[in-house]
Amino acid sequence: MSAEGVGVERVDYIRVPVTDIDAANHFYGELLGLRKSPNSPHDDWVEYEAGNVTLAVMTPHTHDYEFSALPPSTIALRVTDVAAAKARLEAARLDVGELWDSGACKGAGVSDPAGNRVLLHRRYAAYPDGSLP
Amino acid sequence: MELQKVDFVSVLTQDIARAKQFYGETLGLPIEGESEHDLEFTLGQVTLDVFDPSSIGQPFAPSPAGIAIRVPDVAAARAELEEKGVEFDGEIVRGDVCDMSFFRDPDGNALILHHRFAPFPDGRMP
Repeated sequence: MSAEGVGVERVDYIRVPVTDIDAANHFYGELLGLRKSPNSPHDDWVEYEAGNVTLAVMTPHTHDYEFSALPPSTIALRVTDVAAAKARLEAARLDVGELWDSGACKGAGVSDPAGNRVLLHRRYAAYPDGSLP
Repeated sequence: MELQKVDFVSVLTQDIARAKQFYGETLGLPIEGESEHDLEFTLGQVTLDVFDPSSIGQPFAPSPAGIAIRVPDVAAARAELEEKGVEFDGEIVRGDVCDMSFFRDPDGNALILHHRFAPFPDGRMP
């Protein structure tokens, strides 16, 4: 195993700690429109499929540890159009941050009800190898 | 609004060189790109971005997310990491459906060695 590290295969899920599972379900399921996994095991651990990664939205206080929010931009969600996504979420009365443009990608942050700052993200520039996102 | 995929997941670091050693050498992740304050690694199907927030005047905070990293054998992976000096929180947890072992990177970002051995409720295997 040493030659290949510890045999990392993939990310099975990323925990997204929240304080109110109903509010979180509304945000991730309805406002962001992520598909709830039929394999979500419990009401306090709800898995959403975000394309290539499973987000495990869960309440730390029912899993024996204390809540603290994710640092900003822990999860960058690719959207087709950051401005359109920002407008749609603002229409739902969410406070979305300023849209920025790095010269290679655009982004805007939005907080879930627990204060986890999720990044709406779109790279428009080609990668160094010439491929496009 | 169409959400297509996760472009990257990120953790913050206070020491880029130390983070490069940990993710690149200790965990053995392939590196996709690097600059003075930023590293990108291939973590299976997604890019892991490791960033020094002090470079833009932002505060550091470790991530409690707990990225669940699939490995073929949690005990073997843990033993190998322990040989490299990584400390784990508690013993390996064998749940009804998976094995887990909790640890942190040198900056305190939560990570999980994970292997599901039971099929999902819909019958699929991981």
